[in-house]
Amino acid sequence: MGVKKILGIIFLIIYGLFVIGPFYVTVITGFKNINDVFSIPPKLIPFVDFQPTLEAYERVFNTRIIYTFLTSMIVATSATIIALIVSLFAAYGFSRFSKAPMNDDTSFFILLTLRMVPPFAVVLPIFIYWSTFGLYDTYPALIWTYTVFSIPLAVWLLKGFMDSIPTSIEDAAKVDGYNFFSRFRRYVLPLLGAGLAATVALVWLFLWNEFLFALKIAGGKVVTYTAYLPQLKLGQRIQWNVLGAIGTLASIPPIIILILFRKYIIRLYMGR
Amino acid sequence: MPRRGFSSRLPIFLQLPATIVIWSLVGYVLPWLIYSLFHKYLPMKGPVFVGLDNIIALFTDKRLFDAVLRTLYYTGLGTAAEVLLGMAVALVLVNVIRNEVLRFAILVVFLIPMTLSEAIAAHIWLMLLTPQGYINSLLRAVGLPPVGWLSEEMALNSLILADIWQWTPLPLLLIFAARTSIPQEMYEVANLDRISPWTTFRVVTWPHIRDAVVVAALLRFILMYITIDKILLITYGGPGLATEIIGFYVFLQAFSYRNIGYAATLSFATLIAAGLITYVFWRMLTRRG
Repeated sequence: MGVKKILGIIFLIIYGLFVIGPFYVTVITGFKNINDVFSIPPKLIPFVDFQPTLEAYERVFNTRIIYTFLTSMIVATSATIIALIVSLFAAYGFSRFSKAPMNDDTSFFILLTLRMVPPFAVVLPIFIYWSTFGLYDTYPALIWTYTVFSIPLAVWLLKGFMDSIPTSIEDAAKVDGYNFFSRFRRYVLPLLGAGLAATVALVWLFLWNEFLFALKIAGGKVVTYTAYLPQLKLGQRIQWNVLGAIGTLASIPPIIILILFRKYIIRLYMGR
Repeated sequence: MPRRGFSSRLPIFLQLPATIVIWSLVGYVLPWLIYSLFHKYLPMKGPVFVGLDNIIALFTDKRLFDAVLRTLYYTGLGTAAEVLLGMAVALVLVNVIRNEVLRFAILVVFLIPMTLSEAIAAHIWLMLLTPQGYINSLLRAVGLPPVGWLSEEMALNSLILADIWQWTPLPLLLIFAARTSIPQEMYEVANLDRISPWTTFRVVTWPHIRDAVVVAALLRFILMYITIDKILLITYGGPGLATEIIGFYVFLQAFSYRNIGYAATLSFATLIAAGLITYVFWRMLTRRG
């Protein structure tokens, strides 16, 4: 028992170092002077191995890099809102009328396949689509593309949460003569509560992290932080410290979402 | 009539907004792909009908064939490693850490890489793997020779390593969830009966986590297949063709070589492959539920 437990703990520590190590290195690189980034032995402990500086963060906040974060935020938030509105209705249909046409399991499956579409296989036609409308590299094009690809995830999550709300309250409200919209507003939305928040958070997170569409549907005038990253590699020397700073800043929203919604993220995989 | 009509058609009305939004884009993409299967796009001229030329080219494309093999290696090895490591960590975590609050906190920390952007993960690993990067400086500091992590022989394995770092959390989470739903009494009985750990795993644990393992493997397989972000950002398919998997080859045909018709044909074929894998996945999920 004792030996096995110690071996187990050692295994967990090694895996923990594997998980945290790369992320730690990224965070400290963001606080390095460019000349301190790589050396033998590597400088890993701030104040001991190297003097932390805010140079990289000054670069980020004083140049257009900071606007790329703003762009990511605008695009992800707008697409999440639109996707959520249409998905609420669709999810309600799938949850409550699974025998009706367009609401059955087959339709639900067809919707979910959209989530499994390889982005690399559709990015060219989508690029051509927006170009023909003269909307290539604009906010509407990227937001609309993101909206389309967020709907399956939003519907899938919302349907799960709606399935766990008993229908008896709605049925009673229906008998009392409430129409569909007031039933939905009074007896479905409030009960979704935290499930709704978790859906918003996850849909938003996937869009915040998206790269390929951001690079090819936009990337010239409308630049998200992910699409900006390749530009740091242009020129004779990669700006590793700026990369570290961007990596650190970009990871703040995901980690906050993970901490706030940990129970929901984990529950999503529990017994469903 | 209006009221009754509305409520009997309500389910269809519920689906309309989402359906319209989706088809506003898919309604162009799908016909375009099918049309382009049979056309060649020449610069300065319009599309030219070429019959089955694109599809024939698909079956004689040696570079595509190599990319398929590389994809199988990349997704196969990556999926296997992520699922096995994820399972090991999940089971050890549940067995060793008895305090549930602590266990949950450790789990949340372990999940961090999964929540980050592929693009950020790619650059984190570029920073580690680059010839003068952190891993090599660490190796040199302890007197070992540096390794060419992004060389022709190693690059694909290094990409798998980066993917293992980012995505082992997914199987880990799925299997952790399945493992914690097993009643503790079953293990106490096994312990009282002096059943060996291996038999306990085979008889008690495995039947409960098998579905989670299968789902995790399929999910990782398909996601590794459809995601090319790390390849695009770390190696750009190189050196040479060493890390060119299908997705990246399609990307190059579309955006670098501008073989629009052929790129569409490749896209269509990869879409069908994704559809088939998803269908298998769906069947397994519904059979489980």
